[in-house]
Amino acid sequence: MIFAEGEAVRVRSLEKSGHVRTPSYVRGKTGRISRLLGGFKNPEDLAYGEYDRPEKELYRVAFRQSDLWRNYEGGPDDTLVIDIYEHWLEKA
Amino acid sequence: MSGPHDLGGAKDFPGPIDKSQHEVEDWERLTDAITTALDGKGIKTTDQHRRAVESLENYGELGYYERWAAATEKLLVEKGILTKEEIDERAAEIEREWGGE
Amino acid sequence: MSENGHDHPHPGSGTGKTTTPHALRIRAMEGLLVEKGVLTEAEIQDRISYMDSRSPANGAKLVARAWTDEGFKDRLLTDTKSAALELGIDASGPVEFIVVENTPEIRNLIVCTLCSCYPRAILGRPPDWYKSFEYRSRAVKEPRAVMREFGFEPSENVEVRVHDSTADIRYMVLPMRPEGTEGMGEEELEGLVSRDSLVGVAVPKNSANHE
Repeated sequence: MIFAEGEAVRVRSLEKSGHVRTPSYVRGKTGRISRLLGGFKNPEDLAYGEYDRPEKELYRVAFRQSDLWRNYEGGPDDTLVIDIYEHWLEKA
Repeated sequence: MSGPHDLGGAKDFPGPIDKSQHEVEDWERLTDAITTALDGKGIKTTDQHRRAVESLENYGELGYYERWAAATEKLLVEKGILTKEEIDERAAEIEREWGGE
Repeated sequence: MSENGHDHPHPGSGTGKTTTPHALRIRAMEGLLVEKGVLTEAEIQDRISYMDSRSPANGAKLVARAWTDEGFKDRLLTDTKSAALELGIDASGPVEFIVVENTPEIRNLIVCTLCSCYPRAILGRPPDWYKSFEYRSRAVKEPRAVMREFGFEPSENVEVRVHDSTADIRYMVLPMRPEGTEGMGEEELEGLVSRDSLVGVAVPKNSANHE
């Protein structure tokens, strides 16, 4: 799945065991693609010595802080941007 | 699933951030160097290192470079490059030599 | 801040005889890896020298140049590695860099919640507080409270933008040039750029003119 800049996406709540680079606090949350970073090897492969698997698209995904945290203390425009691999994202 | 390293938003560390800085010790610089040199030579990868760090049973009790040293050891043993026994033995020798108890 | 990388001279891997268990075990691994030909002493020393030669002074140079040269600033924001190389800072390696710009509307803050990713190839080893569990857990959820602890309080109507470095990109902040520094040369400007301002927990201050 390829996403475009500005597109709304939800971070999937995958129950993967082992090494992943998608923190819990963004799982299930909806944000927008803010930048396409290109293809990168998947850390979930690299962590187990699988060096030859295909690359995954990596995205910068921007969230409104008030969508991530209940009772977020701060400005209404505050955001958080995080790098997420394509297989952790779905259309929102 | 998330592990002890998945700290974003965790409630367990609400305290003020300690801004003091310790002088980096020689063994920490050595740990940094060995870990990154092994990565540089393709003997292990950053993500293997992270995986090993995350799976340390005493993650929360160790300092930053202690986690690095433990993870590097874990991977070297896992890959059959060193054995735990030879590291035990050599560490004990060094301790005797340096007069530690 | 002094010249690139020369403010903290250290002797090789040194002779510090720390006898805590992990310190002994890494020394043991060093000896065994060298004996088995997995690594050479020279390779280990090279890595130590490499890290010792990186420091926040590099970041300050990049920022001061960006403040005084609009073309350089554009290059720093679009191709950080080659911009750094223009100033003799070698940030080559497997990770990419993105420099995020503070503006009157945006204040950026960098964290790595999962480990402690940091633009080491430019700034050197991260400070202890950056690696603390408190910073890693709180910076994403209450960035303004964290900034306040560092003495920095952005107004309510600016956007605080937190960057969590979860992949192979390392982030650094390009802070805003403080007011009242128009007459300053590049070297003087470098002196205003603290490490904390490159992470985003603080902003550079003109000592004569507090923000």
